Amino acid sequence: MKARRFFIVVLTLGALIGASNSLSGSISREQYSLSYPSVLCPPTLSALSSQISLGSRNTKIHRVGSTSAKFVKSRALRIPIPSDPVLVDAQGITPIVWQSRTGSWAGGTICSDPAASQWFVGGSADITSRGKLFLVNSGLSESVADVYIWSGSAPATAKAISIKANSYQSLGLDSLAPGESSIVVRVVSRSGRLNAFIVDERGKGLRTLGGDLVSPGIAPSKQIYIPAIPLQQKIKNAPPQQLRLLAPGDVDANVSVEIISGDGRFTPVGFDDIILKKGQVMNFPISPAVNSSVYGIKINSDEPIVAGVFANVGKDFVWSSSVPALTPFTIALTGMSPLLVFVGKSINVEIELSVASGKKLSKTIKGSDIAFWRVPGDARNLTFLRISGETYAAALQKSVNGFGSIPLVAGSVLSKSAIPSANIRVLNP
Amino acid sequence: MAVKAVEDLNHVTAILVVHDGAKWLPEVVASLTSQNRPVDQMLAVDTGSIDSSVALVKGAKIPVLSLDRESGFGDAIWAAIQTLPTPTSPENEWLWILHDDCAMHPDALNKLLEALADKPQAVMAGPKLLGWRDKSHLLEIGVSIASDGARWTGLEPHEYDQGQHDGVRDVLAVSTAGALVRRDAFVELGGFDPNLSLFRDDVDFGWRARVAGHSVIAVSDAKGFHAQAAASERRSADVKEAFLHRPLLLDRRNAAYVLLANSSWWMLPWVVLQLLGSATARAVGYLLAKLPGYASDELLALATLVIHPREIASARKFRKSHRLLSARAVKEFIPHRRHQLRAASERLIDSIRNTLLPSVSETSTALEPLNEDEDLLTPGTSGRWWTIFKQPKALTGFAMLILIAIWSRHRYGSLVGGALVQTPEGARDLWRMYFESWHQIGMGTDQGSPSWLAVVALGSTILFGKANLFITLLFFFAPLIFMLASFRLFSKITSHNWLRVMASFLYAISPVAIASINSGRIGTIVTLILLPYIGLLIRDWLTIENSTWRKIFLLSLILALSFAFSMQVFLYLLIATVIISTIDFVRYGNIKFFHERLLRRATLVLAPLLVNIPWSFSVLLDPKNLFLEPGLTIAGGGPNFALLSNPGGSGALPWWSISPLSLVLLVALFSSSKARVISYFGSGALGAAVIIGSLSFSGHGNSSPVRSWIGSLIAIATICSITCGVLILDRIREVLVVTNFHFRHILAGLLVVITTLYSISTISWLVTAGAGSAVRATHSKVLPPFLGIEDGVKTIVLRQIKSYDVTSLQYFIARGHDVLLSEPDIAPDEAPAIANAIKEIADGSGISASRVLGRYGIQYVFAKSPLNKEVVRTIDGLGGFVRSSATSAGVVWKVNNAYHRINFIDLNGKISEIPSTSVGTRTQIYALGSILLTDSYSGSWKIFQNGSMLERTKDVNGFPQFEVKEPGEISLLHDGTTRRGFLSLQFILLVTLIVLAAPAGRKRREMSEGDLT
Repeated sequence: MKARRFFIVVLTLGALIGASNSLSGSISREQYSLSYPSVLCPPTLSALSSQISLGSRNTKIHRVGSTSAKFVKSRALRIPIPSDPVLVDAQGITPIVWQSRTGSWAGGTICSDPAASQWFVGGSADITSRGKLFLVNSGLSESVADVYIWSGSAPATAKAISIKANSYQSLGLDSLAPGESSIVVRVVSRSGRLNAFIVDERGKGLRTLGGDLVSPGIAPSKQIYIPAIPLQQKIKNAPPQQLRLLAPGDVDANVSVEIISGDGRFTPVGFDDIILKKGQVMNFPISPAVNSSVYGIKINSDEPIVAGVFANVGKDFVWSSSVPALTPFTIALTGMSPLLVFVGKSINVEIELSVASGKKLSKTIKGSDIAFWRVPGDARNLTFLRISGETYAAALQKSVNGFGSIPLVAGSVLSKSAIPSANIRVLNP
Repeated sequence: MAVKAVEDLNHVTAILVVHDGAKWLPEVVASLTSQNRPVDQMLAVDTGSIDSSVALVKGAKIPVLSLDRESGFGDAIWAAIQTLPTPTSPENEWLWILHDDCAMHPDALNKLLEALADKPQAVMAGPKLLGWRDKSHLLEIGVSIASDGARWTGLEPHEYDQGQHDGVRDVLAVSTAGALVRRDAFVELGGFDPNLSLFRDDVDFGWRARVAGHSVIAVSDAKGFHAQAAASERRSADVKEAFLHRPLLLDRRNAAYVLLANSSWWMLPWVVLQLLGSATARAVGYLLAKLPGYASDELLALATLVIHPREIASARKFRKSHRLLSARAVKEFIPHRRHQLRAASERLIDSIRNTLLPSVSETSTALEPLNEDEDLLTPGTSGRWWTIFKQPKALTGFAMLILIAIWSRHRYGSLVGGALVQTPEGARDLWRMYFESWHQIGMGTDQGSPSWLAVVALGSTILFGKANLFITLLFFFAPLIFMLASFRLFSKITSHNWLRVMASFLYAISPVAIASINSGRIGTIVTLILLPYIGLLIRDWLTIENSTWRKIFLLSLILALSFAFSMQVFLYLLIATVIISTIDFVRYGNIKFFHERLLRRATLVLAPLLVNIPWSFSVLLDPKNLFLEPGLTIAGGGPNFALLSNPGGSGALPWWSISPLSLVLLVALFSSSKARVISYFGSGALGAAVIIGSLSFSGHGNSSPVRSWIGSLIAIATICSITCGVLILDRIREVLVVTNFHFRHILAGLLVVITTLYSISTISWLVTAGAGSAVRATHSKVLPPFLGIEDGVKTIVLRQIKSYDVTSLQYFIARGHDVLLSEPDIAPDEAPAIANAIKEIADGSGISASRVLGRYGIQYVFAKSPLNKEVVRTIDGLGGFVRSSATSAGVVWKVNNAYHRINFIDLNGKISEIPSTSVGTRTQIYALGSILLTDSYSGSWKIFQNGSMLERTKDVNGFPQFEVKEPGEISLLHDGTTRRGFLSLQFILLVTLIVLAAPAGRKRREMSEGDLT
């Protein structure tokens, strides 16, 4: 009798555990919303021409400042844009903007979604500066930006600037830190949907000294990679390449710089133990004796720092920015044929390229320390499928007007946001 | 005789009034004839006795005057006086008035005369009246009347006569039983009022004597032994004024008559009010005691007076003609209201104490050996104070208090956290919430507040309206209450002191008890308190036909309380009833006792449900609520925790602190004792907990499903398990003592070891990590103060909430304050349009979100810190939201062009705000247009204008809208007639159940002589 009862109890218990756990596991609790927020491309200074490479002819765009809230189809893969910034419903394909002044300079950067904080290592506020800082508010409420400026001599300053809804402001770099030849700018969005861009254009009288779009770099870090720095043979009177560094923290930083090129890795003399004074923008002439025309650098520091490299290329100059590690994403390259530069200990990058004919080409780029690949001229969209760890990349584009460096960073990022649920618990302390 | 003539000039005539008093007469007559100071003359007046009274009196050679049966006491005395010869010395002529149920002490007359001799102004003296059966029971030593008409003796109930009131005292009146009254004064005052044929004639006469300038004294040396046959309904009241022959009715009527006839004019309104109030209160009391006859007596007594106002008027006129002093001359003899209140409260406290704490006759298993050498005259020394800790119950209770003090060290103040929300300031707020038909929660709801709110309000009212204090005390002392409550149950099961104390301690620190306290589950806490009492009453569940109906209703009352806090108990009881009734039917068929069982069990299921209407009906209409307990919906621990008899979730014991409860239930399934039957119920509850615990439900203001909390079911399993353990150990204890070592020793040892390990690990956890649970005292608020200035303003609150170790963005609409007690239970579902707007805000696509929110009358969006900066930037960028403030508490945006709560829209479409109270409004409208209310639609929203009701429609968003066709004053209200109707019905059902469950009072004639004394 007791054995029978034992048998029944065991069976019941087993069934109970099985049933309850299967019921428990079948319930999903969270719902998510996946979306690509619109990305913003920078405004265009007068007398500049600007084109955006898009992923599709059906990509929708919207001009900031327009009274209409509607997005319209681009109907082209590469479109010229007027002076106003443009919102692009990129849907995961990061657009590239390419700006140029005829016969003078060219530069490019990616269009990106709004960011809470952006660091720009580049630009000048001295007498030669014609550069601008653009603050674009693509939202429908007023936005407030805090602009922090570091320079070589003056202490850091900060300005709060409000930007009306659906508009932008341009500020001359020379007004931010008058007379300072080396500046670092940080833009923090206190409120609103804010993007910042810097155009570093220089001139002396009627003579232009080149220009470039300064792409935002990574936030202060103890390890920084700048993958694509063009190296031009020395020409007469050309300023040397300069490494611009800033330790924005409260203590000085000890920095070492490693050159990564086709000739291998090495630390130039004098770059193994740089003392970087806190809060002071410092420039270091850098002219590595390497055979290749492109190289990258890796910077190690005991304190978080930011960095960028200024390089002269012909009449133009280029600002190479620091980048985060490369992640899978797609970038629109219509009308461009850049040189992709990868740095890393062991590079292994699988890419897929769609070309004008509609075909898709696959390519695997392998190498150690540094690897290059030139994108064909009929390229449309380039997708980085699989990437080895700790690989950093940027693109160098040459045009008749000048040279530009484009960081390979996803601008249109899939944002996964949990759908908020109603819960009265939020009203309980 | 010559000596007497010199010393005693008094002439005493004893008048014995006889009415069916054969039972007492022999002793009465004997006491008369054996007086030390003999009576000078005796006369008996018979008022139509139908027993052998007359024969007995005549046998004692006492002359008898016969009157009809309906003659009153006063009539009898007056008739006797008419037969007496004219007095020769009026100041020495005394009448000794005697009842046929009152025997006098042999020295009584002598002492009365002595006292009167010392007090020449006294015209009346009465003896100390003692009980007939218990001669040490002090009945009266003088008598008065309270302002509510009660007979006032100034004595405590059942007061023992130890001479504490002895002496000769001035009193308002003395009882007519044994009263010695001077004949001339008696005649001058008109004798006893013929309208008071029985009862209160003594007080009336004393009052009249007092205001006529005489004195009345009570003489304690003179003793009488009174059976109080009429008052105790040992004989019927047959006098002609005795409407329906009901003694109580006559007594109350006469009491009112005395007060109304003798009080001064200006006091009359107050006297009438007091009489009415006290009669109503006593009537309610009698109804509760199921004595409707007595209840009707109370009210009829007043009615009989009201319909004869001339009687009172002529009585007052008569008294006025004989009055020499003001009516206030008797003030010192009327008991002060303070004394009356004190006496009433003492009676009430005694009654409650006797009910709740019946004196338990402690049985000693071993007699203390008598030390013959001890000097018996040496006063016994009381034990030292610390010897109390030799008692297991006291020791464990003290240990529990220390544990509580450490465990609850963050709970000294107003509690919030877990499932427990903020408590309103006072009981009045709770009552208001309970009675209101409209609640400003979310978009508003007409869902009625749950029944448990009324219980909390009642508890808070008892604590002088301090609702916070009530909740704090409940949570703070919950473990101690669990322990004391379960101790009562276990005391019925085992006589082993340590076993029942340890069992109750284990119940108090059981996983479900800890989890419910730590996570703010008021429903489970109350269930845990009630379960031992339910267990006490439900012990004969299987043979329930043997239970009395009163017991069934008492159990129903407790279950009603339990259902109010947790419908899981209802669900469990319903299933158990269905299963057991089915088994009974299969086993016994459709026979009488099956019907009796079914009827009783069905009563236990349905009666509590009825008492909880309308809340219970609303729960049944949405059965999901059967699984939800009061408060916020916070996740439980799931089925695997439930298997360990641990409900899990926030604040629960960690998994490694494994209690022996489930193991005991399992073992008990194989027991051959009564424990097996109990384990079936416990295992059933545990099984249900495991299954339901695996399910997830949304509700109580939470749109996301969360794992259900099954605290009440685990509580049932817990009480069953511990009861099984006690039964098994109690039985096995004796076996273990007398048998050699075998597996039972190992099993018992194992159980003790596991229990000890559990207790140690649990206590360690409680005083460390367990003390840091979500429920704690705090004064922090979610809403910034400025958002609470305008009551009812809608604010969307966005906040990151952590659940299942995942932080997610959640929201709700606040109405000017944080969530309050019971509001989660009735929180309405989210509006789809608002949900969509919030989703679009979160993912940045909501260009029209502000317009949607504004249309729903949402004025502000508040992002509570800490919040994802991306969300803040998104809202900044969406448009339609203007930042109002950004502080450490969070960021507030004002929604552009938002509608107000009540809007007037004129014919041009211009919108203007109509100021509102928390629910409705009353204002002047000067134009034609429409009134839009941005609260949820309800059929009870009404607007009255110029005596007519405006037509109500639904606007495009489903809000109530009213068309204004002419200017004028409008009055917007939410009609709560239906709610009030249901609550009235609930009150009636509750009172009915209380009356049915209350112990029945006994009529005096049903009481034994012993009970009466």
